[in-house]
Amino acid sequence: MIKLAIKSLLNRRASVLLTVIAIAVSVTLLLAVERTREQVQTNFANTVSGTDLIIGARTSQIQLLLSSVFHIGSMTNNMSWEAFDDIRSRPAVEWAVPISLGDSVGGLPVVATTKDYFKHFRYGSKQSLTFAAGDAFHDEKQVVLGAEAASKLNKKVGNDITIAHGSGGISFSEHDEHPLTVVGILKRTGTPVDQTILTSLTSLEVIHGGESRDKHDHGDSHAHPPAESISAALLGLKAKPLALRLQRQINTYKPEPLTALLPGMTLQELWKTLRVFEQALTVISSMVVLIGLLGMLTIMLASLRERRREMAVLRAVGAGPGTVFGLLVSEALLLTVVAAASGLALLYLLEWSLAGVIQSQTGIVLSFAWPTVAEWWRLGLVVATGFVLSLIPAWRAYRQSLADGLTVKV
Amino acid sequence: MTAVSVRDLSFSWKRNEPATLEILEWQVQNGETLLLRGPSGSGKSTLLSLLAGINSPQKGELSLFGTPLSKLSGRQRDRFRADNIGYIFQQFNLLPYLSALDNALLACQFSSIRKERIAKAGETPEASAHNMLKRLGLSESQIQQPAHSLSVGQQQRVAAARALLGAPPLLIADEPTSALDAEHRDSFIQLLLELSAKNDTTVIFVTHDAALSRYFDSHVELNDLNKAGVTA
Repeated sequence: MIKLAIKSLLNRRASVLLTVIAIAVSVTLLLAVERTREQVQTNFANTVSGTDLIIGARTSQIQLLLSSVFHIGSMTNNMSWEAFDDIRSRPAVEWAVPISLGDSVGGLPVVATTKDYFKHFRYGSKQSLTFAAGDAFHDEKQVVLGAEAASKLNKKVGNDITIAHGSGGISFSEHDEHPLTVVGILKRTGTPVDQTILTSLTSLEVIHGGESRDKHDHGDSHAHPPAESISAALLGLKAKPLALRLQRQINTYKPEPLTALLPGMTLQELWKTLRVFEQALTVISSMVVLIGLLGMLTIMLASLRERRREMAVLRAVGAGPGTVFGLLVSEALLLTVVAAASGLALLYLLEWSLAGVIQSQTGIVLSFAWPTVAEWWRLGLVVATGFVLSLIPAWRAYRQSLADGLTVKV
Repeated sequence: MTAVSVRDLSFSWKRNEPATLEILEWQVQNGETLLLRGPSGSGKSTLLSLLAGINSPQKGELSLFGTPLSKLSGRQRDRFRADNIGYIFQQFNLLPYLSALDNALLACQFSSIRKERIAKAGETPEASAHNMLKRLGLSESQIQQPAHSLSVGQQQRVAAARALLGAPPLLIADEPTSALDAEHRDSFIQLLLELSAKNDTTVIFVTHDAALSRYFDSHVELNDLNKAGVTA
């Protein structure tokens, strides 16, 4: 009977093909919503995998997280170096990396930090940064490029670059007189680090008009802070359970208003606020799938009239009305299964063809994983809905073949 | 053994309506070829749907080869039809998207008994259908062609091959020649009867054309048979 269903579908291949395409595209949409959500979430989680606490000037936690680690949006206030110094000297803190943001090269963010960044930053499953070429910066005239930044700017180790003020694509105040030399290029991480230009805090100070400490030739060796103020700091703690207490202490820090956040928890909060949109998208794409399936229902119902003779022939050779019913249901099932499979294939095709663009635009690396449980569920629901809808034409054909028997009056 | 045996049969399409068909007594002998003539409205399609087991009489008895159809369930009647009855329509006998060969093979799709009969004759269903189609005058290429590309006359031959495949004991033909011209009609009937005779198949051939009666053993007027509407 499956063979009969296949041949019957092939016979009506034009309308069947259109229906399959409509359902397949809608299935792709449905899966893409789920996959984007999941990939964005793992990507964000990967980026902050080694950081226990992020601190910055008083602002909302989500804003601090997005601007400090993901370079989305900008920070309006800075925290003082004194406050950073005070907090990093606390016994609970194992390491602290200051970062200063706000400059850019060709639209790519400049992250001014210390060498500790390379030592302590972790991504993915707690991997540390490694160099594809060169090494970390050692003085204020040197920069390290992320993998994507290096290829976008077309710079190699030894090339010079100029930093512009502001994070826009084009800036009128380029710090031309301070070219920096590329000394290292990082290996690809699949995080926003790939897009960044890393330099030392002191070099940023120099660019912004502070005096170079190299040319600073007074004899004493008192420690200068590398910067007056910083945008944020990443902290690693000696023991995770200390995080909550330290967070409270920083949030109520007396000398100046600060914000501390636990990256994992703040991300959860972010996803919670975005869930409404995500659900709206899911609902819309489900509707699109339903429209596709209703299209299938329409062509099946429309074809019933012209297929009455076909049903009578089947009855003549001994098919019962139940067989006629089964034939129509299996046709619809076949059609939806093929459509769902093509939808899945289309999703992978899109992922594969857009992966490059998505990475360079957003820094998100798509991983080609097998469908997740949630995706299988969605596919299953599509096929189940197709099955349920097919009961309508199947039932009509059943009634029709009972009434018609062998004499079709068309 | 009698092929068809009817006693006190009465059937109406809707409950509480006067009967469309009433037959007191009717028998067809095994191997007999019979021409059944009736104008439209004489209860022809009703009788055929009862013989094929699509519908069941409300009253009376209808047996085919000793099996009382009226006592079988709908599903059992479908099985019985698949195993024992070859059926040819007036036209549109074929699934247009199947080849002539696959259309003929449909006869075996729902009947393992037909397959067994073919196996007993030492053939595969494919070979048997192929031979039958050749016998009915289809060329090698026509046998593989999709049914919709065949002419009406060729389509009717494929329908005959399907009806006769696996040697069913009863062949019902419902005006199978009405779409054919006189020349094709006569050769079609002769071939049909010749192939049926080989398997000792009982043939009930329905037509409105009494001139064809010379080909058949007996000739029955449905108006004589059907007592419905006749007031006593």
